[in-house]
Amino acid sequence: MNTDPSTGATEPLCQRCESPLEPEDLRCAVCALPVPISPLADVQQAVTQILRCNGCGAAVRYLAEIGAPRCDFCDSVMEIETPEDPVEQAEFFVRFAITDEQARKALKRWLGGLGFFRPSDLQSRAAVDALKPLWWVGWMFDAEGTMTWAADSNAGSRRADWAPHSGQAPLRLHNVVVPASRGLTEVECRGLIASYDISNVATQPPHHDRATFEQFAVQRSAARKIISGALEAAARNRAVPLIPGARHRKLSVAVLPTRLVSRHYAFPAYVLAYRYRDKLYRAIVHGQDATCVVGKAPISWARVAAVALAVIALIAVVATIATA
Amino acid sequence: MTASPANEPFHGLGCNSCGARLNVPPDERTARCPYCASPNIVMRPRADGEDPTFAVGFVLPDNVARERARKWIRGAWFSPGAFLRSDVTAIRGVYVPAYMFTAEAHVKYTVSIGENYVVIETYTTTDSKGRLVTRTRTKTVTEWRGLSGQWASYIDDVFVTASKGLHNTELEAIEPFDTRALKRYSPKLLSGWIAEDPSMTATQCLELARAEAVGQIGHRLSDHMPGDRHRGLKYSTQLVHEDLELILLPIWILAIKYDDESPLVRLLINGQTGALVGQPPRSWIKITVAVLAVLAAIALTVMLGTRGVL
Ligand SMILES: [Zn+2]
Ligand SMILES: [Zn+2]
Repeated sequence: MNTDPSTGATEPLCQRCESPLEPEDLRCAVCALPVPISPLADVQQAVTQILRCNGCGAAVRYLAEIGAPRCDFCDSVMEIETPEDPVEQAEFFVRFAITDEQARKALKRWLGGLGFFRPSDLQSRAAVDALKPLWWVGWMFDAEGTMTWAADSNAGSRRADWAPHSGQAPLRLHNVVVPASRGLTEVECRGLIASYDISNVATQPPHHDRATFEQFAVQRSAARKIISGALEAAARNRAVPLIPGARHRKLSVAVLPTRLVSRHYAFPAYVLAYRYRDKLYRAIVHGQDATCVVGKAPISWARVAAVALAVIALIAVVATIATA
Repeated sequence: MTASPANEPFHGLGCNSCGARLNVPPDERTARCPYCASPNIVMRPRADGEDPTFAVGFVLPDNVARERARKWIRGAWFSPGAFLRSDVTAIRGVYVPAYMFTAEAHVKYTVSIGENYVVIETYTTTDSKGRLVTRTRTKTVTEWRGLSGQWASYIDDVFVTASKGLHNTELEAIEPFDTRALKRYSPKLLSGWIAEDPSMTATQCLELARAEAVGQIGHRLSDHMPGDRHRGLKYSTQLVHEDLELILLPIWILAIKYDDESPLVRLLINGQTGALVGQPPRSWIKITVAVLAVLAAIALTVMLGTRGVL
């Protein structure tokens, strides 16, 4: 990931922590400072209807002309829902860079390279049932501020294994992605995140024949909890290299974030359903990078059993030789 | 409804007994102070102090609040009979003034961190045959190491009462309030409810709030410490970018005066979460009787037991 597009808007900032305030904010979401008189009071959030999947919980925008189709993530039935909270929309759409055909090929290549414990005919027999281009959603945030930490480490220890340490450091986080998708799992999102080129974005949904885009279906207050959780997790990661010594335990981190800016992103991906020996599996092909595929694939239990038997046999042989 | 004080649809009441200054809707026929059940209330002009910034709305409806109060009274077994017969219709939903404090805290601390380790020590003892033997055992020893450091965070959700009628410890007992449901104050919000004017100044409350914030920081610092345990935590706190806002909190109040001699009993219910606090009176006669009954039962059991009946 490299440059991010400038938001360009002149949003009001919190007087205490300089984070941008959102419409309808009574208090700053980062530091809890009350907002004097709602400077954005007249910004009206349009009430939109969404389609919610009964299976995986993903939400997509409802378009009357399309009606209620099946869920692109899991193929379950979807129902119309009118949410009470304003629905947050993606502001930035990362563009697709590979075609349907390249996605199909990527899946085949991936199935062939999964290693020994997969069925040998997986690549040749797997048949793609469905291929759906879509945008899944996530927040991306930047933050500054300071972080203080305390932990035990082996450095400077005397009789006990551990000695206490503490420290503080400036915090600078840039383009940290927090998945908000309900349709994809956290693991699937994490697998895809690193490979996106976010300089290739549009501020409107780019024209695409069939691609649907997911909605942010988390309530705003819940969203902020998730983002502050991710901020703390990121701060912990930054703290680890600051701890002296080779081992540590009981790391605590306190953060004082300033200028926390989060943006709503939509990331392109192909969701593929493929069939192998009458069973359906799901794989996600990155919308820009054909070498990045995540998903589920069958395991060849015959091969696993063969290896296990071979190992047992080997142990038996070694044991016999040793005792002889 | 308009917000102008001239045709304000509330009338002001003052309690000469506890000092509460209340604004009561016109259809509210209250002859007693909801805080202290005193009939000594007088009309007073509406105070023109600062308007609250925010309010947390009532979620718990009056029938639910009344039912909770009834259950609470009935559950007080060791209370005098007169108390158990108390009426709950006097329960009132009151918007109680409080100050909400937020700040940025910068803390410097020193502490002793205890790191445990295990030693094997030998000791001599006598075995079953009376011989002197040497054995070993493991023992956990704590090595104390000094640590100093800094800690910084935002301080949020500190509430202190701005009402002389409601003690801060009572407020703490029914906290927390979910501030995600905070609404910007408007007089419309109060329609049909009693609202109290603040009877403590912002300056008084600021000191209380700072003290509460420092206490809260102590707990968070304790959680922050590494080691197996710690002691002697000392810290100095610098609070910057402080902010204090007058807000209204929804509280159901029932003041019970079940006889003229006994002190007032007060039940408070968090109007948002239903959390309840109150100390029912104790009837020493009932407690003595119960203790005697238990003792008698024990004595009887022992007697029957020694005679081999049981
Ligand atoms: Zn702020
Ligand atoms: Zn009173």
